[in-house]
Amino acid sequence: MDIQERNVRNCGDNIVEIIDMDEDNFVISTSSAADAAFDAVVGSIEDIIMEEVFQQLQQNFMDKHYLEFDYSDENKLSYTSIFNEYVDLLEKHLEQQLLERIPTFNMKSFIELLMQHKEEVPGDIFDMLLTFTDFAAFKEMFLEYRAEKEGRWLDLSQGLVVTSLIPAGPSEAQ
Amino acid sequence: MGLLTILKKMKQKEREMRLLMLGLDNAGKTTILKKFNGEDVSTISPTLGFNIKTLEHKGFKLNIWDVGGQKSLRSYWRNYFESTDGLVWVVDSADRLRLEDCRKELSSLLLEERLAGATLLVFANKQDLPGALSKEAIQEALALDDIKSHHWCIIGCSAVTGKNLLAGVDWLLDDIAARIFTTD
Repeated sequence: MDIQERNVRNCGDNIVEIIDMDEDNFVISTSSAADAAFDAVVGSIEDIIMEEVFQQLQQNFMDKHYLEFDYSDENKLSYTSIFNEYVDLLEKHLEQQLLERIPTFNMKSFIELLMQHKEEVPGDIFDMLLTFTDFAAFKEMFLEYRAEKEGRWLDLSQGLVVTSLIPAGPSEAQ
Repeated sequence: MGLLTILKKMKQKEREMRLLMLGLDNAGKTTILKKFNGEDVSTISPTLGFNIKTLEHKGFKLNIWDVGGQKSLRSYWRNYFESTDGLVWVVDSADRLRLEDCRKELSSLLLEERLAGATLLVFANKQDLPGALSKEAIQEALALDDIKSHHWCIIGCSAVTGKNLLAGVDWLLDDIAARIFTTD
């Protein structure tokens, strides 16, 4: 909780500074103010998805639905509605958390900025966000979760045999 | 539309296409998908859900979605319309009795707003069967010449032998690419 509160205050501080700069030099600072605001949102998104609350949200969701998923190649029609529900859940959480951290946050203008900064958005964080909307990754996540729940991953590791690339004989001789 | 959905649309890579394969049950959709993907097609059972294959072809990444065609499943088709670049309509050319049903289903799909921008490829499948109608006969039965809303093409093929599958997909890719990627 402490960390969250500090984050909120930090964002607030940034915004105050930006406004100050705005008065000094309008032309330069409008673009840098926008950049700073953009960066602040991106930073917050990063914080939000790293938080335990977010992971808990994902886990609760998986707990609720994992038994529906099985290993056949064909997908059940129900996966699609579960997938849509998942994207919706994460989207709502993100938006709500952003609003809590940055009271002035506006999704519409952020998305507009995003379009303008298309080429320069930090890759990692958006790749991660994108995996939330990728069906194949979604299904994989559920299957892994189910395997883990049912202890299947243990069997898998037992089936693995680690062998050296270097034949044992010659290396011993040396 | 939320942030994630928009991000996805934004990031959709340039040389990536989404193809949606539909048609009545037993038309051969899954067989086409698997054959095209180089998989074994000897034991295919009716699709009750959907299949997705992602493959590279001619420098494009194709995401092909194949949804079951049984009557009870058709109301779910709408859940897969979003962002479709190409619609592949598969017809069992030997199933004369259900051609009218087939025509009706296709014509109602073409009214769907979310498919409005999609190119239509009709596969007159099962040309290897002795009782199969020619692609010209299918073209007439489905009243394809009346379609003004979509770019379309009909190709006679056999999913089992693989004949003309490539020709159909190549046409589809070229049409979509000309529409989407050259206007940039």
